[in-house]
Amino acid sequence: MSHMMNPLATPEQLYQRRSFSALPIELQDAIFFSTQCLTQAAGLLLQLPQSVTAQANVLLARYWLEEPMMFHEFSDISAASVYLTAKLSPYPRSPRDLALVYNYLLSPSSTLFHPLATLSDDSPPPPPPPTNIPNDYYLPEHIYNSFHTRMLNCESRILYALSFDTHVSLPHSLAITYLQALDFLNTSKSTISKRTLAYLNTSLLSPQMLYLTSQPNALAVAAIYNAAKDVGAKMPECEWWEVFDVDREELGFLVVGMRSVDGWGRKMREDMERMKGETESGRRGGMIRRRDVEGELRRRGLSVGNGHAGGSEEPVDMEAEMARRMDEKMAEIEASAS
Amino acid sequence: MTGKGKSRWADSAEDAALEAQVKKEKEEKKRIKAEKARKAETEKKRREAEAAAAAAQRQHQQQQTGDDDDDDDANGPPAKRRRLSPDRDAPPPPPPLQATPTASSNDNSKLLRFEGGRFGKCRSVENYDKLNDIEEGAYGWVARAREIETGKVVALKRLKIDPKDRSGLPVTGLREIQILKDCSHRNIVKLKEVVVGDDTSKIDNIFIVLEFLEHDLKSILEDMPEPFLASEVKTLLLQLCSGIAYLHLHYILHRDLKTSNLLLNNRGQLKIADFGMARYVPDPPPPKLTQLVVTLWYRAPELLLGAARYGPEIDMWSVGCIFGELLTREPLLQGKNEVDELTKIFELCGLPTDDSWPGFRRLPNARSLRLPSSSSSSSSTPNPTSALIRARFPLLTTAGVSLLSSLLSLNPSRRPTASEMLEHEYFRQDPKPKQEAMFPTFPSKAGQERRRKRETPNAPQRNQKAPEGGIDFSSLGGIFGAAREREERGGGFSLRMV
Repeated sequence: MSHMMNPLATPEQLYQRRSFSALPIELQDAIFFSTQCLTQAAGLLLQLPQSVTAQANVLLARYWLEEPMMFHEFSDISAASVYLTAKLSPYPRSPRDLALVYNYLLSPSSTLFHPLATLSDDSPPPPPPPTNIPNDYYLPEHIYNSFHTRMLNCESRILYALSFDTHVSLPHSLAITYLQALDFLNTSKSTISKRTLAYLNTSLLSPQMLYLTSQPNALAVAAIYNAAKDVGAKMPECEWWEVFDVDREELGFLVVGMRSVDGWGRKMREDMERMKGETESGRRGGMIRRRDVEGELRRRGLSVGNGHAGGSEEPVDMEAEMARRMDEKMAEIEASAS
Repeated sequence: MTGKGKSRWADSAEDAALEAQVKKEKEEKKRIKAEKARKAETEKKRREAEAAAAAAQRQHQQQQTGDDDDDDDANGPPAKRRRLSPDRDAPPPPPPLQATPTASSNDNSKLLRFEGGRFGKCRSVENYDKLNDIEEGAYGWVARAREIETGKVVALKRLKIDPKDRSGLPVTGLREIQILKDCSHRNIVKLKEVVVGDDTSKIDNIFIVLEFLEHDLKSILEDMPEPFLASEVKTLLLQLCSGIAYLHLHYILHRDLKTSNLLLNNRGQLKIADFGMARYVPDPPPPKLTQLVVTLWYRAPELLLGAARYGPEIDMWSVGCIFGELLTREPLLQGKNEVDELTKIFELCGLPTDDSWPGFRRLPNARSLRLPSSSSSSSSTPNPTSALIRARFPLLTTAGVSLLSSLLSLNPSRRPTASEMLEHEYFRQDPKPKQEAMFPTFPSKAGQERRRKRETPNAPQRNQKAPEGGIDFSSLGGIFGAAREREERGGGFSLRMV
């Protein structure tokens, strides 16, 4: 049975997220969303199957219910979750692979989180898409080493926070099995299957953390329901979801939850771009970083570093801070040299 | 069950010391038990008092408000969906039972509820008191310890971490934890939790908490004056086999089955342990698996010949080796190196032929191996393995010989699967498998500090490289060659120099 079950978040865990750190909940959601997107992008560039990347998404989400987001740089914890799940899967990736991919994704040459062209009319036109400048993502050895150390540190942190339980059951294969049982609702097999999987993959980004509050069978049924609505397939008239052990109430909740991710995500990107635009001189977009969040907090008059962010985590922060300064220094030197 | 010193297993001189130790431990246990009882007593009294007070209060309230106060009672109707916003001062709701059918919204249809547990941080190793070291193995250090809170005795296994290893926590250890967490079977050792050292700013002390079993099969075999009875061998094999059937059903290969990894408790229960080499392997198996698995003496011939695609059959070969060892108390095939191991296998099982094992010549290391062509050699006898095994185990019944020789088939596809083996005639014949409860008891070595160590090769190391270009078996065949070279045919086992 274990392949159909996941450990779920307890109400206490979900609740304490609000009080965990000094971060307002919408900032936490923004960080969650963009880090999960970054994880997916890294999975693609590392040519990992979605089954591995999706597990990394779930582990990362679980980790953030146990420890505050500001403990580590978001990209480091994302890299560690991908590294860890890949290591345990049949597709291990080397630390250097990860370093190269994350270094690229965070560089100005990457198109990840590049401002969207179709946001709103009154905003200034978006900057042209980044040109590919290999120098942007050249990886010097010392940067690699510090990334490597931070990633391993995050890896053991994730394992510690989750009691070394890396078990993740994904709903994807269940959904296909259910679709087969439903005879693909008499529509095109590939259309409805793709739509179903799209819903499941999108749900990974949901700040409602659907993968931590529902079991795979419920996620699979809700995704099928949504996909069937989208493609106009006729569903059985009886309460077919009960065959798959999902009750009406949970299904309704998940259907709404899954449908809302799309619109919410678009708005989230607008917010993030505004935030980045206010903190960084050139509105280049890009992955949100801790310093962006710190800047945003300062602007809102909220102090950083109270609560969990201080105290025992000082050494980790110091190290990250050091690495960051070195990165910047190096970049300056290189920029002036060229 | 038996009187002191009457046991047919134990009558040596060190028993006195052992008995003293056991006595001391018994007394310690008694003390703890007494203390617990006392605590429970006071606790009970306190609770009774509280309950009485609560009841009085409730009665009082009822008098004031009438009958409508059972809405917010703890045993009101359960919420349908999990509540995701807790009442801050209410106690957490009791966890629902696993897969309990609950009534759904409209009809009385029964829906399965899946309870996958929860996740959270590791506890600290300081929750345990170390009692004594059990052993220092290739994969780490094991100690007997007691959980302070409950007084339960457990085994603590420390994950070996090489700080110089820049690939992070060892994948073997992580796989072992993951697999043991997924397993739940009476013949597989139970993982209770994973704990870490007190300093959580750097996670480098990781301990796996396992259920404690008194013995491992290897040290029992070494110390017992007479071999196991036929009925006892059957019980042990049945338990081993049902554990393996469970693993294989769940796509897990153990890849390091040997007597020192089989634990036995004082109630005759056998459990498979040490999953440091284990992994999930889909069916059909992926094309490239490491060949450096299984301790040499228990390693299947296809692995020795360099097969990169293998399946559950390699575990069944190890079961065959363990079967032989249970009968004689000696490891069956004690090769000094890969070449010697294969020699010993061919001595016991005969040479492979194209009929008995089609395709074996295509295995990477088989190229340096030249066997007589099938026409000239012993292909006339239908099953040479049986005859050779019968000669080696004269006391084994016919059914026993047929089981052992099928397990030791050179051709992996001829070996029975674990579930087939459970149905084998051998287990139904007299003498019937002995009841576990009737098993003899042995002095526990794991409770003591030291034990006699015998040289056994260790399981292959994870980051060891498979030898470049395979193993050269051209030096093999001395025995076959030398004896037969004088024969007219010049057949036997000739070599090609590479």
